[in-house]
Amino acid sequence: MIEVQDLHKRLGTQEVLRGVNLAITRGQTCVVLGRSGCGKSVLLKHLIGLLQPTSGQVLIEGENISSLPERALLQVRRKVGMLFQSGALFDSMTVEQNLAFPLQEQGIRDSKVIDERVHEALDMVELLGSEKKMPEKLSGGMRKRVGLARTIVGRPACILYDEPTTGLDPITSDSINHLIRRLQRRLTVTSVVVTHDLKTAYHCADHVVMLHEGQVYFSGTIDELNASTDPVITDFIEGRSGESD
Amino acid sequence: MFTILGRSVLSILSYYGQLTLLVWDTITSIFSLGIRWKLALRQVVEMGFRSQLVVTVTGAFTGAVFAAQTFFQFNRLGMESAVGPVVSISMFRELGPVLAGLMVAGRVGAAIAAEIGTMKVTEQIDALRALGVQPVDYLVVPRVVALLLSMPLLVAECVGFSLIAGWFVGTRVLGISEAYFLNNMQHYTDGFDIAWALSKGFVFGLVIVFLSCYEGLNAREGAVGVGRAPTEAVVRCSLTILVSNFFLSFGLNVIFPTT
Repeated sequence: MIEVQDLHKRLGTQEVLRGVNLAITRGQTCVVLGRSGCGKSVLLKHLIGLLQPTSGQVLIEGENISSLPERALLQVRRKVGMLFQSGALFDSMTVEQNLAFPLQEQGIRDSKVIDERVHEALDMVELLGSEKKMPEKLSGGMRKRVGLARTIVGRPACILYDEPTTGLDPITSDSINHLIRRLQRRLTVTSVVVTHDLKTAYHCADHVVMLHEGQVYFSGTIDELNASTDPVITDFIEGRSGESD
Repeated sequence: MFTILGRSVLSILSYYGQLTLLVWDTITSIFSLGIRWKLALRQVVEMGFRSQLVVTVTGAFTGAVFAAQTFFQFNRLGMESAVGPVVSISMFRELGPVLAGLMVAGRVGAAIAAEIGTMKVTEQIDALRALGVQPVDYLVVPRVVALLLSMPLLVAECVGFSLIAGWFVGTRVLGISEAYFLNNMQHYTDGFDIAWALSKGFVFGLVIVFLSCYEGLNAREGAVGVGRAPTEAVVRCSLTILVSNFFLSFGLNVIFPTT
């Protein structure tokens, strides 16, 4: 469903991505691991066309989206939903309005249909009863859940998660991990999860990719990752910085 | 030296190039996708209706003090009956549009840049794009339409209140004959002066909304970035209004010549 070919991205003087190659099969959950600043979020933003590559291409269902103009990308983006690191809820709208927004933009005008879909999405993220709340009244975990509900309400074929558990307590993180897995099973969507949280990888991944210095350093299953003796991988898994006191 | 000069030139060209692209995107969006009237009307209330107090107070006190000063100087020459037309023509042609423009730049320009800038750094603009909505269609077009509708009316209000205040100070406080004041004011002010004021209001509205939206959309990350966006917007809008007013006055004098 998603294919990344020799993707390079330069931001200012820094080359963030240095020839990333990746293929994600339909219905699979691919977890992209790596240290902070290794280019995971930059890679994710390329998958939905929020960033244009310096060179290389991104194919969504065979269509090269890297060469598409911004307005042509809007149609592609309706097939691909994205959960932002902060939730990125529209702070001038209530939870209900945030969820109704993508439906209205898809041209759905029937308020009954919109209400049903909003209700269904909030039910999936276990936030029924929060419809009238403003985003600033929500906790970090609730914001991510509402952000996820807004992502799935449009019924995308693929969901991209940018650091879904960062900044959350372990219990809320665990509930988000369960939610990702549950959504993948119930909606059979293709998922790409960018994280440095290994628990998320253990819980959700069908396939794991590790980015290191702007390139794919490892690609395989979670068991293969665990079995690796490569020092870069073992240091990452065991959280060793290499520094001594 | 040449490197610094080259960078400055490139930076200026890049700024005006991106601004031109924003204007072009907005025009394309209006003609190809139409206007989100609900959002535009909400902005009319926010930017136009709620700016009335600031422009009317500015207009009224400027008109009042201008009438008083003109009287103090003209009285020595026995020309106090010219106070009305001087206040009227000055307010219609120059002071009304410029003062309303500066006040709206301060109030509305800063608000636009701060709101859009905050949306940018909190990833709300990326979220709009990810949901298949172009930020220009959703954020810029309604504000452009709202300010283009509001700004000429705000200028008219500013001038209107300045004339009322000038009349009050001139005739009721300083004792100028009301008949002379009003008759001369009507005699020397014509439709061209009104068209002149409204045209400037329209142009200043364009300046304010595009420069402020641009600053918001290009806000840098962090509190410093969001803080700088409204400051930059107000400074750029104010300077552009003052400079463009000079050239507009010459241009409009050709279109609406002084009779």
